[in-house]
Amino acid sequence: MFPDPGSLGNKNSSSLMLCSLLSTSELEMKYGTSIDKGLSSARAAEILARDGPNALTPPKATPEIVKFLKQMIGGFSILLWIGAGFSWISFGIHNYKEASRSHQLYLGVVLALVVILTGIFAYYQEAKSTNIMASFSKMIPQVRATVDNSSLTGESEPQSRSCDFTHENPLETRNIAFYSTTCVEGTATGIVINTGDRTIIGRIASLASGVGNEKTPIAIEIEHFVYLVAGVAISIGVLFFIISVSMRYKILDSIIFLIGIIVANVPEGLLATVTVSLSLTAKRMAKKNCLVKNLEAVETLGSTSIICSDKTGTLTQNRMTVAHLWFDNQIYSADTSEDQTTQPFDQSSPTWTALSKIVTLCNRAEFRPGQENLPIMKRVVVGDASETALLKFSEVILGDVMSIRAQNRKVAEIPFNSTNKFQLSIHETDDPQDKRFLLVMKGAPERILERCSTIMINGKEEPLDSEKAEAFQTAYMELGGMGERVLGFCHLYLPENEFPETFQFDTDSMNFPTSNLCFVGLLSMIDPPRSTVPDAVSKCRSAGIKVIMVTGDHPITAKAIAKSVGIISATSETVEDIAKRLNIPVEQVNRREATAAVVNGMELKDMSSEQLDEILRNHTEIVFARTSPQQKLIIVEGCQRQGAVVAVTGDGVNDSPALKKADIGIAMGIAGSDAAKNAADMVLLDDNFASIVTGVEEGRLIFDNLKKTIAYTLTKNIAELCPFLIYIIASIPMPIGTITILFIDLGTDIIPSVALAYEKAESDIMNRRPRNKRRDRLVNQQLAVYSYLQIGIMQSVGAFVTYFTVYAEQGFLPSTLLGVRVNWENNAINDFEDSYGQQWTHYQRMYLQWTGYTAFFVSITIQQVADLIIRKTRRNSIFRQGLFRNKVIWVGIFSQIGIALILTYGLGHVTALNFTPLR
Amino acid sequence: MATLNEKKTCSERMADFRRFVWNPETKLFMGRSLINWVWISLYYLAFYVVMSGLFALSIYCLMRTINPYEPDYQDQLKSPGVTLRPDVYGDRGLRIYYNVSDNKTWEGLVTTLHTFLAAYTPAAQHLNINCTNNTYFIQDTFDGPNNTKLSCKFTSDMLQNCSGITDPTFGYPEGKPCFIIKMNRIIKFYPGNGTAPRVNCTYVGEEGSRPLDADYYPGNGTFSLHYFPYYGKKAQPSYSNPLVAVKFLNITRNVEFKIVCKVIGAGITFNVHDPYEGKVEFKLKIED
Repeated sequence: MFPDPGSLGNKNSSSLMLCSLLSTSELEMKYGTSIDKGLSSARAAEILARDGPNALTPPKATPEIVKFLKQMIGGFSILLWIGAGFSWISFGIHNYKEASRSHQLYLGVVLALVVILTGIFAYYQEAKSTNIMASFSKMIPQVRATVDNSSLTGESEPQSRSCDFTHENPLETRNIAFYSTTCVEGTATGIVINTGDRTIIGRIASLASGVGNEKTPIAIEIEHFVYLVAGVAISIGVLFFIISVSMRYKILDSIIFLIGIIVANVPEGLLATVTVSLSLTAKRMAKKNCLVKNLEAVETLGSTSIICSDKTGTLTQNRMTVAHLWFDNQIYSADTSEDQTTQPFDQSSPTWTALSKIVTLCNRAEFRPGQENLPIMKRVVVGDASETALLKFSEVILGDVMSIRAQNRKVAEIPFNSTNKFQLSIHETDDPQDKRFLLVMKGAPERILERCSTIMINGKEEPLDSEKAEAFQTAYMELGGMGERVLGFCHLYLPENEFPETFQFDTDSMNFPTSNLCFVGLLSMIDPPRSTVPDAVSKCRSAGIKVIMVTGDHPITAKAIAKSVGIISATSETVEDIAKRLNIPVEQVNRREATAAVVNGMELKDMSSEQLDEILRNHTEIVFARTSPQQKLIIVEGCQRQGAVVAVTGDGVNDSPALKKADIGIAMGIAGSDAAKNAADMVLLDDNFASIVTGVEEGRLIFDNLKKTIAYTLTKNIAELCPFLIYIIASIPMPIGTITILFIDLGTDIIPSVALAYEKAESDIMNRRPRNKRRDRLVNQQLAVYSYLQIGIMQSVGAFVTYFTVYAEQGFLPSTLLGVRVNWENNAINDFEDSYGQQWTHYQRMYLQWTGYTAFFVSITIQQVADLIIRKTRRNSIFRQGLFRNKVIWVGIFSQIGIALILTYGLGHVTALNFTPLR
Repeated sequence: MATLNEKKTCSERMADFRRFVWNPETKLFMGRSLINWVWISLYYLAFYVVMSGLFALSIYCLMRTINPYEPDYQDQLKSPGVTLRPDVYGDRGLRIYYNVSDNKTWEGLVTTLHTFLAAYTPAAQHLNINCTNNTYFIQDTFDGPNNTKLSCKFTSDMLQNCSGITDPTFGYPEGKPCFIIKMNRIIKFYPGNGTAPRVNCTYVGEEGSRPLDADYYPGNGTFSLHYFPYYGKKAQPSYSNPLVAVKFLNITRNVEFKIVCKVIGAGITFNVHDPYEGKVEFKLKIED
């Protein structure tokens, strides 16, 4: 039915159609309906059966069981399953062949338990984070767009609808209304042409879900880490399997060594620790108004290098506020902060008195009743944005506006309309002696000036000569140039003889003068930046994050706001600025000289992606104005082509593809639509840009702290691995058991490694450039080498000294231990002689061996306490970071020692666990 | 969440790897220049030399501080293990099966006993003194040669019928086999609290109530007190454990019996987890 079949036209779009290219009767025929009667109920049922209900298909969710199974086999779990499998196999063979070696069975069971428990834990954490989200959408009341298409196209002004076909693009044409938009005023009748997923919003929603969930940077890092560690585990395991086979160990024994090496190498507790750290950070961020839907998004935010931010509501307060005044030939600026209680400008002039009266009286906005106790700025107002701004402004300065209006009773009124471009009202005065009526008027400044013949200067009316008109023009241009919406105000005291008290004013015939008025002043309004934003933007700047403003607003307003928040810094110029300064045409300016750029949506439309790339590369300060939300996606893709990690804010439904596409999509909690929130990875509860920066800081902190956690966890792997290697090569009694290793990994070490997540930021965290996702890995060579080859070796040496000491003190000197393995482990030797001539049964030796395990375990634990303190800092000195600033670390240390004590002395008599009380 | 597209083809990966191993432009071998590799190797060499030094120093200090005569702690050896000769182990512990009429089944057992008793010939025991009084042989001074302590002589003839002298087959062909029971050495262990500990063998399991007809050598199956305490290998280099021999006199043929020989005496305890502490359990089946 649309002339252009290639456009969105035919198959898709709107649900409600007022008219179309086709005439009404043609339409009725096409859809088998009638404007008056609608569809017959049989036909309606038929269509319902064909198309389904008029609702969007929810995005396809992964079944819970699949998610759960993924947790069960993901990461290291598969390695541990292999270990468990081997244990059971070797138990089975042993059991069949000779005396039962039930500890193989235990080991398998324990390994399986470890996998299942960590799997359940990770699943639970994931599920919990989704639950936060679900409860959230009920918590925050949905602010429905009061404007027509805003949820769809982002246009902030209501769009009128008529029967005229005005544009080939169904989104632009006036004769189609869309599903999910709301009607602000008026009535219309239409024919439904599409429902459910076939509507524009349905298509956007499916487009958004089609963009797909790719891996987050942290997921990639973790995967990289898992590959690395698993690679080390498997290669060392296989290497020593070959060595042990060639050293003529039995295959079965070699397999048991293999299990031991794998278990020693795999940091079983680490993935759980990472999940906990991330969810702790997510909680901390929720307190700071960043609600994280996807745990991994926490870190993504930290590696962000470009933030594409909306203007309205994110950078600004999302309410019009009086910013400047012009009267007595002078510009005054008003306070635009969030919690103004007074206005500091000079209010002594009688002109101001007159102006304030006009502002107060010529205004239809009113406070909702019952809010007397709220601060003025927080009160809800009935009326449009400008009127609200003026009402609040006069309430702040003059006090109770409603009583002033009551004292100056309104006798007639002409509301604002787009033809007149002014608003007028006539009042009685509050002076009982003065029986004149006061006519007050406000409107577009040039229209108001046209109607004036005098201007008030210092309370006196003076004729409006060309010099004064020039002054007005200058002021008007200046205020307009700041991107502000300017209103002019004038008044007239009607002569008492012509308009007696009983005069009946008729607004239709306008039986009163509307020209030769007295011009009083100008007021300009803007949606001012949030007060925390400039600071946040400068933080981003020092953190190496580029902030790009993407707005549907007019370029001048956008640029003004960008300048006031520092997105465009005071010293930088756009191409246009340079052209103006040098007085040359724009084309002659060297584009490289301009650091800032304001790009209009219309220009963007005609740009090739190379041109966009060039803009993104060459300009550090960019504002995209008059952009449609669809263009946001193009901008995001452009940024990603530069290799940036892009955060994007959005609120409208058709922001959702951009939110999905971005590395981290940030939806607005207050103004955001549900679709945007669904597509986003994070929700800003207060819609404030500054909260994003807090989030970035937290994200960087968690990356740093995860590095610390991993370094801490990896260190002991060497101390757990060396025993196996030396056991195989030197044939000494086993220094540490597989189950004991599990107790370190999942017992003593868990709380300390989580405690590192509470570590405070090291001083320079927001003065670094964002991490380069290709180079700055979570686990890099330095970290691995330092943990494995330096600290790890030191730990092993320490643990072996303990091991030899324990054996020596019990009678086996180090020299007797070398090469002793075969006899030591022989069941049939029950009078094994030690260095002092004492004789030991097999069980007595095993018990001594467990004592050795325990000593080795305690040694690693104590050294891990030292390691924990080492790992507290990466760049700062430990004294600068402070030993006691992170209290949780001490909880970790005490828990570590406590768990070790319980295991050694409390469970020392449970043989399956192989712990013995030490003396 | 967006992509981090790092999909590379296999050949690209190989090329990358080759460039990593030797990058001709930057002259880097595995990411480092050659001189850099030398330095880092020297660093690690020095580091590990220092670490090994520390380890060696620790072990040296350990050896210097340790008592050469007795271990610092003896909490792990509270009660002596008991061993049996001949010792043939089956799937679950000691299992001695033999056929009276088949030499081959018991010759090995007899050889084991002879080998074991070789250490108890008068020649092997010539360094030790004869002891007669049945009290602990406490020596506070080093009275032996080369600054050692004296040990009491235990010769195989003390085992009389089970000495292998009178009956070189230890009664195996007759179905009245000898078993030698030895108690493990523990330094400064005083068993029996003044009374000599003795060996007592009984049936266990279903046959538990049945009396076991056996002769014990030396008389009453006791370990004479003068073999205790043991002062360790350095103080008593020629010490040998006292033995007790058991000769089972009336074992029903062709039935597997489970027998336990316990050493009875104060200070000798049993451990549920350890089948050889203070006692020795074994299965015996004599066929014909």
